[in-house]
Amino acid sequence: MRTEPDVIVIGAGAGGPVIAKELGELGIRVLVLDAGPWYGNKKWPEPNKNRGQVKESSDPKDLDGALYRNQLTRLENDMDDLINGKFRWGPADRRRSPWFRNVPDRSLLWQVSGIGGGTLHYYSNSPRAFPEAIDNEWPISYNELIPYYEKVEATLPVEFAPTTTKEALFYFGAEKAGYSMNQTLDVTSTGYRPQPNAILPPNENLMNPNYSMEEISHMEGCTLSGLCGQGCPYGPSLEKMAKRSTVVSYVPLAMETGNVSFRPNTFVTKVLTENTAGGERRATGVEIRDTWTGETEELRAKVVVMAAGCFETPRLWLNSDLPYNSWVGRGLTNHYMDAVTGTFDESTLMEIVGSPSTYPFAGHTSGARLDYPGVGMIETLGESPGIAAQSLFGFSQYGYNSLQQNDSNMWDQRGRLVGSELDEAMKNYSRTLSLLIITDDEVQYSNRVELDPHIEDEHGPVPIIHYSPSERSKKRREELTKIATNILRKAGAKQVHRSDLPPNYFIHIHSTMRMGYVVDSSCEAYQVERLFIADNSVDYNGLGGPNPTATTQALATRTAEKLALKYFS
Amino acid sequence: MLPSTHQYGYESTYNAIDLGVHEYLISGLDQNISIQKQLEHQAVPLAYPIAIMLDSAATQLVNASQVHPLHNSQFPDGGMFSYLSKNDRIRTLSALENLKLDLYLLPSPFQNNGGMVKFITDALNRFSMFGYYSEWPAYGTTRLNPPGYRTLEFFPPGWFLVGYPGVSLGYRDFRGFLLTMAEVNT
Repeated sequence: MRTEPDVIVIGAGAGGPVIAKELGELGIRVLVLDAGPWYGNKKWPEPNKNRGQVKESSDPKDLDGALYRNQLTRLENDMDDLINGKFRWGPADRRRSPWFRNVPDRSLLWQVSGIGGGTLHYYSNSPRAFPEAIDNEWPISYNELIPYYEKVEATLPVEFAPTTTKEALFYFGAEKAGYSMNQTLDVTSTGYRPQPNAILPPNENLMNPNYSMEEISHMEGCTLSGLCGQGCPYGPSLEKMAKRSTVVSYVPLAMETGNVSFRPNTFVTKVLTENTAGGERRATGVEIRDTWTGETEELRAKVVVMAAGCFETPRLWLNSDLPYNSWVGRGLTNHYMDAVTGTFDESTLMEIVGSPSTYPFAGHTSGARLDYPGVGMIETLGESPGIAAQSLFGFSQYGYNSLQQNDSNMWDQRGRLVGSELDEAMKNYSRTLSLLIITDDEVQYSNRVELDPHIEDEHGPVPIIHYSPSERSKKRREELTKIATNILRKAGAKQVHRSDLPPNYFIHIHSTMRMGYVVDSSCEAYQVERLFIADNSVDYNGLGGPNPTATTQALATRTAEKLALKYFS
Repeated sequence: MLPSTHQYGYESTYNAIDLGVHEYLISGLDQNISIQKQLEHQAVPLAYPIAIMLDSAATQLVNASQVHPLHNSQFPDGGMFSYLSKNDRIRTLSALENLKLDLYLLPSPFQNNGGMVKFITDALNRFSMFGYYSEWPAYGTTRLNPPGYRTLEFFPPGWFLVGYPGVSLGYRDFRGFLLTMAEVNT
């Protein structure tokens, strides 16, 4: 951007590009900064190998679907290795270490730096929050959010997931367990339904053998290629890729406005402020560090929006010496998750779904769900072998199955599997159905992100994270786990394994800069004028259990409106 | 902790050691954390201190007669951990993870650092499984190259074992829609 932008947005994940596109359409000039690489942009043909010729890109002609396809190999280690995968929380240069977060416990964090952020990796699940988790809890009502949900759903767009084998099996089990279908976007009662996903519906010729899969993968629509977490490069052009990560949806739309520029490889180390004549603090810009060269710079704008995620946004607040607020970084929720995996006989599968396999690697990674307002939700999960092994059989607070006395008749196995048990479980991979349990966990002040007093990286003190579920959250998770196990049994599972996942599993992270405590109902910081937040951290709670992205995008759409009205009308 | 070869009658190419999973672990653990020192930014290599930690933990459990060393180590110059049976090695990892040891006797950076011990002991399990069941071993002679400089040299053995056909352009498994947005928006 040749002249000073009106607004600087920190982070190009789920929320940042949404607010940028909305502001850009109003004629407001926006610069979006992101710490990671940009896949699918011709200005960075080798984004992991060198810093490229330029610093930013604002021309939609720079976007290139073929390049994106080339970079997103969909190989699980290449894409999702936590240490040096393309989708990791770290610098674009994969030879360097990831950026450290100190979680002093068993922990797994799925966070991604880069244009698109966590939506590069997400399963595109885009349900709305449960109305009862918003009404009488948040400072705003559910009805106030509806028009913004609708706008996001139309823009991405969102469609209910198509049925493939694993969803058919889940629906069968859910029916047998006594649940009925919830035919709605606004969930007020218990029931199952397809996931509302930000994935284009399958191409009408997907089942037509006259078209090769190669041809279909260059046409518009989901190919049911599965494993959405490894990125989706299938479609006729970048902005028409089937999975609607912001890098292929809101980012191109923002660039089309002619008012928005994106700058990758840029880590924001400080929000700059000044004191106004009235004695208030006001945001005036940011201090940045180029992740390739280490050069630092100050950038100025009239308004700053933090959209760096639930760990980085509070860390940035604290590292910027912004005014003290006892709720900054506090109230962290993460949907205290668990998982159960059912193994089926070939004959059972033939009988119920007419195929010998569940094909966990085909279709939407998570295409079906059971909603249970007041308790949480359950969703289907079909991951790749390495990720399935490590997150279902390698990650547990229960310890090793083989060292424990199995005193439960609910689960045949529980906890980590090793040796022959692991071998056996993984050899059944293609006949498994896994369900992820996602709890409506309570906000607790003690769950938090703060600055590590001893450890710094190149951007200052690193975040240290503490999360421990409340007794009520534990009870809810137990109840959901039993329901999920029952659904698997009713569907005909011969064996059920319970992962008993540890609490520090960070996929859905929310509420570390809560509305009503740190930001007002327009998502502007109470204590710093012209400083807004547009990520999951403003959530008042964990939404009742539903996946957070749609709500963050709806809120970002709303915040753009409020911000423009207050400062640019 | 990984499935072993002769026990289950696989070809020798499926042995975790032949697959190089330990190399995956070592390079990953050495790269996992980097911090800012006073003047420079540097990686904190963890593989070696972890090996010392495992030996120290094994020795503590042997001294308490909770595990029993074999007569020979499987590896030349191996420490106490390598004298343990598979089951006793799992018991040692479990004791570490549950902090049922004298943490003062562990090497830096694990000494009296329970959070770090829990984090790393858990990670040893996960990294091993991801190394074994992902495509990593199939990078073959290029597997220790920087990530942008590797090529797949054969079909990943872990994928073959579990019946995953590999990266696909798509599947003709469309069984219709149970519900559409048009239906709920009316």
